[in-house]
Amino acid sequence: MKDRLLGVGNIVMEKARRKGLDAEVFLLYDKELSIEVVDGQVETLKEAEETGMGIRVINQGRLGFAYTTNLEESVLQEMLDRAVGSSRYTTVDENNMLPEGAFTYPPMETYDPAIRQATLEEKTAMAREVETVARAYDKRISVIERSGYEDSEYLLVIINTQGVEAVEKGAFCGLYAYLVAEEDGDAQTGFSLMARKHFGELNPREVGCEAARNAVRMLKGRTIPSQSIPCVLEPYVVTNFLGILSNSVNADSVQKGKSLFAGKVGEQVAASELVLVDDGVYEKGIASFPFDGEGVPAQRTVLMENGILKGFLYDSYTARKDGTTSTGNGVRSSFRSLPGVGTTNFFFSPGPTRPADLVRDISRGLYITEVMGMHTANPISGDFSVGAAGIMIEYGELTRPVRGITIAGNLKDFLLNIEGIGNDLRFFGGTGAPTLRLKALSIAGE
Amino acid sequence: MLDRSIVEKVLKEAMSKGGDFGEIYVESRVVTNVFCEDNKIERIHSGYEKGAGIRVISEGNTAYAFTNDLSTNGLLNAARMAAHVARGSSRDITLDFTVRIPEQALEIRKPPAAVPFETKIEKVLAANEAAREAGDYIKQVTVGLADVEKKVLIANSLGDWIEDEITRVRFVVNVVAARDGLIQTGYDAIGGVAGWELLDEVPADELGRKSARRALLMLEARPCPAGRMPVVMSSEAGGTMVHEACGHGLEADLVQKGLSVYRGKLGQKVAASNVSVIDDATLKGKYGQLRFDDEGSRGQRTVLIDQGVLVGYMYDRLTAEKDQRVSTGNGRRESYQHKPIPRMTNTFIAPGPEDPGSIISNTPRGLLVRKMGGGQVNTTNGDFVFEVQEGYIIENGEIKYPVRGATLTGNGPEALKNIDMVGSDLGFAIGQCGKDGQGVPVSDAQPTIRIRQLTVGGTSL
Repeated sequence: MKDRLLGVGNIVMEKARRKGLDAEVFLLYDKELSIEVVDGQVETLKEAEETGMGIRVINQGRLGFAYTTNLEESVLQEMLDRAVGSSRYTTVDENNMLPEGAFTYPPMETYDPAIRQATLEEKTAMAREVETVARAYDKRISVIERSGYEDSEYLLVIINTQGVEAVEKGAFCGLYAYLVAEEDGDAQTGFSLMARKHFGELNPREVGCEAARNAVRMLKGRTIPSQSIPCVLEPYVVTNFLGILSNSVNADSVQKGKSLFAGKVGEQVAASELVLVDDGVYEKGIASFPFDGEGVPAQRTVLMENGILKGFLYDSYTARKDGTTSTGNGVRSSFRSLPGVGTTNFFFSPGPTRPADLVRDISRGLYITEVMGMHTANPISGDFSVGAAGIMIEYGELTRPVRGITIAGNLKDFLLNIEGIGNDLRFFGGTGAPTLRLKALSIAGE
Repeated sequence: MLDRSIVEKVLKEAMSKGGDFGEIYVESRVVTNVFCEDNKIERIHSGYEKGAGIRVISEGNTAYAFTNDLSTNGLLNAARMAAHVARGSSRDITLDFTVRIPEQALEIRKPPAAVPFETKIEKVLAANEAAREAGDYIKQVTVGLADVEKKVLIANSLGDWIEDEITRVRFVVNVVAARDGLIQTGYDAIGGVAGWELLDEVPADELGRKSARRALLMLEARPCPAGRMPVVMSSEAGGTMVHEACGHGLEADLVQKGLSVYRGKLGQKVAASNVSVIDDATLKGKYGQLRFDDEGSRGQRTVLIDQGVLVGYMYDRLTAEKDQRVSTGNGRRESYQHKPIPRMTNTFIAPGPEDPGSIISNTPRGLLVRKMGGGQVNTTNGDFVFEVQEGYIIENGEIKYPVRGATLTGNGPEALKNIDMVGSDLGFAIGQCGKDGQGVPVSDAQPTIRIRQLTVGGTSL
């Protein structure tokens, strides 16, 4: 497969050079497996294989793009022509440039052969164990919505006319469970996810238990009166906020006036202990890879240190616009789209405090375990008002579950109001966070 | 798209280890996307994609394999993978295909392929300019244009052979306005099963102006008060609420898995008597229109709630089989890369008797929602949350002032029971609905309605 993709890529490059074009090919081969288990049976087995190519051209400062799933030699010229054709109508922008190679890429382990070597039966057994463990955890677990195993392996080839040639393969695997606990007519959901680069690190027991625990602890939750009280946020809830924050540190948003951090580099934007990092070479990170979607080497970028905004994430285009260099954040979701600024392993560094100690001296507060509708938060103004659920904190103890409330505020205040950082950094995919404690959040209830 | 003899071979291979149902879904699509930001045409994408998904169902369990290698060998490989799940003895099936043809003609007056790039770009720029002309507070405008022309072939072991095609277009404007450190956004979108004649009906510049006006209005808005209050939802708000708070819970897969508050409630009262909810794939030109769903069942009109009483769910083939019913034509998939699951098409609350204006004038105090933003629902307990993009405070039956930052939190069945007034109008909105990692185009609608009490979340306590 590697030879085939390289072959196709080099043919396209040759055709582009002959026309004097600046061009790039992005070729992807991807193979996925998912096993979903219900009542011990494989309810859905899915196997997929996909190959595709995206061609980006820069034609006298104009950007063109075309993609196809057909890699036969006969269509390559047509695809290149399509890309050139679309460039006729885009606006000239001197910052449209392909990265210039050749690069040296950081060595890293991205492919664990054990994922491919494990048999379908072994993988199915793991998925079954997640379900069994979850059911056995508590008799109030009534429904396993979905539980299963997934893996993916892929091969990426990026070649451009400016000397970039990047080739690497990767793989990851994961387990998940989504379930429901019921008691006296009240139903609550819980879930758990685990994604790893190494097959041997998957732990079905942990996934099953956590999903069950998350559902059971919320049973019989009730709303509370509207008020403003100290809040402690679980890592998963914090990663939801990071999803919104990632937009604000994206140079593209900043340059287009869509970030609340525009013009704020060097300023205090968060509590003084807070460190925000994007790290494409983080050893354990699921999103670690030697290069980004345009072949630029991955790196570690500190975005906030001691609460001070240090800078932004860049791809080649935005970097050139700001007269700086790409941070290796030209992310590409598939061969179907152009690269754009995105995150790799994006996280708040852990602090010194045990999560239990963050709760201990709160006489009345809320431990937030779930937020709903985070995508409705406004990434530009930072305003958010989202559904939430959690557990009351009374005199340092987690007491009764709470649901049917909204929490509202602005991201700027959120960051400045952080007064405690847990030592429990945890990743959900490429986004990670420790438990955080906030001075206060505005809660709307009954 | 494929020869019968090849399809036959592939289906036979898929069913070679047994199984109750085998299917091949072949799709080709041509897409164009134009994106304008920062006053310039930033991206133009043109894509061409082909692929096939093969499905085998055995005792209610599914194996699905897809590939974009459409050679006979590539397809047979995928078929062998899909044959994995089957239990029981091998079957030698005989296939005698019956061709089923669409009942509705698609009226695409300006097919995307026939509209030159230049024209599409003119439209995008017109929306951009109109939005920027709204004033100095407009800081950013993005305009997205997208069209897709799709052809599918669906053939299955029951002998169905369906060839269908569909064309969809979408035009979206987002505006950012800022003043004194306050940033607000405005949004508008149109889309349908249509060609670019859609922009003759609603001109691009009008969409730009509307989005800009909304963003500017929200700059003037006061922070929304929090608490429980009556909420009037204008028909202009579209049907996000009915889609999220009710529609998802009526999809048969969620019901069967026990993940819906509406489970076991057929024949029971689940909403106020003046509320009927309908899913209708046959609405011509609407964004969720289907002639056939993605497993070859005909798109249809399905009454879900009839005058407050739950009368039906939305089914695909697999879930219909489990309930010993027939599919309601709601089996949809994002592409050949996904198996079909029950999804909505065009979902709405049916209009009622009240004059929309009098609903507002009869409300002493409350929140008027004129444009909804996104939302999320927990189908298991019915809890939902929605963002309000354009909201106003009603006092003494009059619209007093705009408010920003509002969200609505509530519970689906509770909210439906609390609808005490239903207007005679009906307004549609379009969206891309996500479920199980698959996005499909839908529309939703509602008349102007009043909900007696909802929790309004806001920044002003």
